[in-house]
Amino acid sequence: MQPIAESIGIAAPELVLATGAMVLLMLGVFRGNRSLHGLTYGGVIIYAIAGFALLGDAQSELAFDGLYIADDFSAYLKVLIFAAAAICSIIALPYLVRARSDKFEYPVLIMLGALGMSMMVSANDLLSLYIGLELQSLAAYVLAAFHRNEASSSEAGLKYFVLGALASGILLYGVSLVYGFTGTTDFRLLQVAVTETPAVGTVIGLVFILAGLAFKVSAVPFHMWTPDVYQGAPTPVAAFFASAPKAAAMGLLVRVCMDAFGGMMSEWQQIIAFMAIASMVLGAVGAIGQRSIKRLLAYSSINNIGFALIGLAAASELGISGVLFYMAIYLPMTIGAFLVVLSLRGADGRPLDTMNSLKGLSKTRPGLAIALLIFMFSLAGIPPLFGFWPKFAVFNAAIDAEMYVLAVIGVVTSVVGAFYYLRIIKLAYFDEPEGTVLPQESRVNGALLAGIAVFCSPLGLFLMGPITVAAARAARAMLTF
Amino acid sequence: MSSVAAEYLPILIFLGIAVALSCVFVGLPVLVSNLTGTNQPYDAKLAEYECGFPAFEDARRQFDVRFYLVAILFIIFDLEVAFLFPWAVSLGATGVFGWTSMMIFLGILTIGFIYEWKKGALEWE
Amino acid sequence: MLNIIVFLPLLAALIAGLGNRALGNVAAKSVTTGSLFVSAALSWLLFFQVGFGDTSYTQPVFEWFRSGDLVINWALRLDTLTAVMLIVITTVSALVHLYSWGYMAEDPDQPRFFAYLSLFTFAMLMLVTADNLVQMFFGWEGVGLASYLLIGFWYHKPSANAAAIKAFVVNRVGDFGYSLGIFGIFLVFGTTDLSLINETAGEFQGRTFEFLGYQVDILTTLCLLLFVGAMGKSAQLGLHTWLPDAMEGPTPVSALIHAATMVTAGVFMVCRMSPLFEAAPAALTVVTYVGAATALFAATVGTVQTDIKRVIAYSTCSQLGYMFFAAGIGAYGASMFHLTTHAFFKALLFLGAGSVIHAMHHEQDMRYYGGLRKEIPFTFYTMLIGTLAITGVGIVGVFGFAGFYSKDLIIESAFAAGSEAGYVAFAVGVFAALLTSFYSWRLMFLTFWQTPRWNESEHIRHVTHSEDRTGTGGYKPHESPMTMLIPLGVLSVGAVFAGYALYYPFSGEEQGAAFWNGSIAFNVELMAAAHHVPLWVKLASTVAMLTGLAVALVYYIWKPHKPAAFVEQFRSLHAFLMRKWYFDELYHYLFIVPSLWFGRVFWKRGDQGTIDRFGPNGAGWLVERGAGVARRLQSGYLYNYALVMLIGLAAAAAWFLPRAMGGE
Repeated sequence: MQPIAESIGIAAPELVLATGAMVLLMLGVFRGNRSLHGLTYGGVIIYAIAGFALLGDAQSELAFDGLYIADDFSAYLKVLIFAAAAICSIIALPYLVRARSDKFEYPVLIMLGALGMSMMVSANDLLSLYIGLELQSLAAYVLAAFHRNEASSSEAGLKYFVLGALASGILLYGVSLVYGFTGTTDFRLLQVAVTETPAVGTVIGLVFILAGLAFKVSAVPFHMWTPDVYQGAPTPVAAFFASAPKAAAMGLLVRVCMDAFGGMMSEWQQIIAFMAIASMVLGAVGAIGQRSIKRLLAYSSINNIGFALIGLAAASELGISGVLFYMAIYLPMTIGAFLVVLSLRGADGRPLDTMNSLKGLSKTRPGLAIALLIFMFSLAGIPPLFGFWPKFAVFNAAIDAEMYVLAVIGVVTSVVGAFYYLRIIKLAYFDEPEGTVLPQESRVNGALLAGIAVFCSPLGLFLMGPITVAAARAARAMLTF
Repeated sequence: MSSVAAEYLPILIFLGIAVALSCVFVGLPVLVSNLTGTNQPYDAKLAEYECGFPAFEDARRQFDVRFYLVAILFIIFDLEVAFLFPWAVSLGATGVFGWTSMMIFLGILTIGFIYEWKKGALEWE
Repeated sequence: MLNIIVFLPLLAALIAGLGNRALGNVAAKSVTTGSLFVSAALSWLLFFQVGFGDTSYTQPVFEWFRSGDLVINWALRLDTLTAVMLIVITTVSALVHLYSWGYMAEDPDQPRFFAYLSLFTFAMLMLVTADNLVQMFFGWEGVGLASYLLIGFWYHKPSANAAAIKAFVVNRVGDFGYSLGIFGIFLVFGTTDLSLINETAGEFQGRTFEFLGYQVDILTTLCLLLFVGAMGKSAQLGLHTWLPDAMEGPTPVSALIHAATMVTAGVFMVCRMSPLFEAAPAALTVVTYVGAATALFAATVGTVQTDIKRVIAYSTCSQLGYMFFAAGIGAYGASMFHLTTHAFFKALLFLGAGSVIHAMHHEQDMRYYGGLRKEIPFTFYTMLIGTLAITGVGIVGVFGFAGFYSKDLIIESAFAAGSEAGYVAFAVGVFAALLTSFYSWRLMFLTFWQTPRWNESEHIRHVTHSEDRTGTGGYKPHESPMTMLIPLGVLSVGAVFAGYALYYPFSGEEQGAAFWNGSIAFNVELMAAAHHVPLWVKLASTVAMLTGLAVALVYYIWKPHKPAAFVEQFRSLHAFLMRKWYFDELYHYLFIVPSLWFGRVFWKRGDQGTIDRFGPNGAGWLVERGAGVARRLQSGYLYNYALVMLIGLAAAAAWFLPRAMGGE
């Protein structure tokens, strides 16, 4: 048996987060809701420490007798998760205060969610996978219903919970099937046990596991919750849902497919390719005609997940690094877009969410309109904005893997997708304003918005080198261990 | 066959004792009340006991969420106890590792307990 | 020094163009005009060094691109031919810049105008200094662009836009031939370097290739393709239709681009490639006939035009025909000689016409002029000089105006060439000289003699508002400002002396060979023969000129009612000439109507009926319907969502189950 001290050392980031979350919880409960701001920034420091704990030798290491793995792949995704979690807890502050929901639990819940995600990407066993997933999900359910006095928020939380429980059940059933037919839950042992001609139970188990994970990344047909939950949940929570959990679940999906079930590649490739196509098409088509910006962004995230899944479907090192690169760019873009929504407040100070409220934004809030322009062009994948490159990377991987149909459908749907992104820009730049939009109330949010916008603008291309290098290294680490 | 059955024999005995004891607990008061003549039944007394609710009514009635809350909080600690029994039995085998693990688990649970206490979840009013 | 000459105008154009309003009118005008005068001064210096010294060289700038065997460099080539073009371009351009100070004084958009002018000059200089065909093509397209921009300078005028587009499109046809020629030359010679091509042209003489079963001469084909380009740029018969319309541009532009420089690019190119053309005699014959036909055609049309600028435009077209048939018979020196003198007197005529138009408040119709001799004397005298120059007034062996030397030399050379094409060209040249004399004097008489007919002009009435029914309509023409008169004066000097001064260097037997120094295929024998033609040949053009003058005198001074009677009598002939031999109508029915018909079919049936219906619109319809379905699926009911998830799961399981079972 591995000494527990060694395991703890390897899992230091999670340990920091777990301890940090509990400390914050205790501080909060004793000091009350007025400590929200303090806890939030304390949380940011904890994320920073946890991120610092990621540093160290790049070797891939197992901990807790193979339940847990720390490698470049998990480290890359954890950086994304921690950064997204930190940003999502900061940007929520003005919103929560205004909505009289400024309860200290918010940053704690985000941190617990981040801890779950961190576990997910480091899971090396179907059981630790489930633990991470559930921890993340439970935090998310509560967050979705954070405005517990508002019907829409409660509805979102309930829907998410029920469907999430169903998905967890499906996943667990799949895990039990796989365990029953192979006799193990350890990824490394599964890799050996799963062969080219698997048992029926293993195949069905894989299908169930993939379905459970697909729910988390909101891939079609397990996406139904997404628009409703995004729209109902508080905006900063929706921003969180659209960002960090997607990266975590995507990472988990990649590891399960490539690592544990590498032997059944031909089987899961079919499922992933189908989900990619369905997500791209439905994400692009469903967004048309939406009146709520948040709902539109929900479809946008479904659409983007479809693109990212192309990289996984290619099942090559190029494809995996494409997925990782995609997530690194997608996260800022989507957080930025939600941040724009967060910055929209009508004359009475209440948050705006309708498409019509974007009309004439270039005249009332020129700075915000420019940020919106950058995010939308970037999401639409128009060069030279940053959003073009990850799409290019996954399409390239698909071509490389000779999956031409997938690449062609990807290009076509991104054209359809461009339609509604451009429609937003049209509203903001070519229509006359309807009503007023109040100026940005938080300097921190303004600065974050500007920073993310610069990242997504062509200036961000300076970062492309380091990001692609890191993504390639992470992909290689995961595949070769 | 016999060996498997033999392994479950203590449980069978345990079940037997449990059944016997509950029979005693239910039967004794009935017997005593009947013998002493304090048995004065009326409608409400004869109705099934259902956690303080009338037994035959529309199920979709609102009830105080605090019942629910208390039940959930109870279940957490109920499960904790269920977890503690096997741990206590096998502590000799798991040793220091087992002991620290359980302490961490209890510590986290305690933090949750402190939280719910401070939040006032345990107070009825 | 060559670098400065070429790139100074570009720099000036960039400053004026980008600075535009921020820079202000005066600064933009000063920068462009100043740099052009510097370029002009340096050009003259180079001209004397190169023409009368021996300093031709090629100066590399940098490599442009490299693709397999195709290596294209930017390099400036300097030899006598280039030097001649340099002085023509920079001198006329500088004077036109100066002239525009006055002519464009009231225009609100002056920096743009001057930037375009300088840009044009740069492109033209690139064209003439090119040392390979691709670079020449760059200049070729550059001048086309500048010409387009300047014709359409007054973009609020629909007619100007139409003319600009017409010029661009017609030139495209020529450019297509030219680029095919470049491709072919690269294919055959393996290089686009001008000197290499000219040196090795002889090796390919007589070689053929098979095309549709015919044996076609390679060099003839290449030369004809290049000549198609030259025809477009130099407005030769067939591709000439854009030039008269190009008069919609401001008059200084007409003088610079559509008289003195750009339109002569085709002539320049043929001279530049003269060793190649010499190796393709059949192509030269075509050049001769096309040139002669243009000379005749344009001159006939010029006799009936009423717009002062259009008369000069057709005159230009006709004179370009002279240059081409001179080149066609091998008298490249004569061709370049006429190009040079023509640049001076034609620019002079155009600028003079501009001055008249300026004086007459933008009235361009000569029928509303008359009697302007006294009102604007300076303009009158300079235009008189221009007319004397173009009609070729002079006494053999004593002195003559510029055109006397150059045009007569061409006509004599045509006779001296001795070929069938040469005799045809000679006859046409003499007759065209008669017509030239007639329409030039007609222009002078209508404008400066007779009694004023100003009151009939809309433009004039627009300013005077008077009910004065006398000829002047109460209008008082005013002489142009000094900035316009100085260029007229300078060009007049050129128009008087250029022929006399340059006759021997350009065409003398010994001097010419030394002067050209191998930069064109200078034919000493032909020049010698041209100098020693019979006296009647020498006198023929002078007689023709005098005849034209006499007819003009009769019709427009002594019996002014005669032209109307003549028109009445020969209505169809007049209409034929007035409608420019029906070229525009022919092209309209031959190209434009079928194109429009095809376009309509493709648009209605192809684009809208097929591609749009099943392409964008069909896809749009599909997407919209899909969006509707997706929205309806998203009912908001939890059980629906769960159902979709389970259906998805069941479908996936059902998909794999038979396979997995079969695999076992």
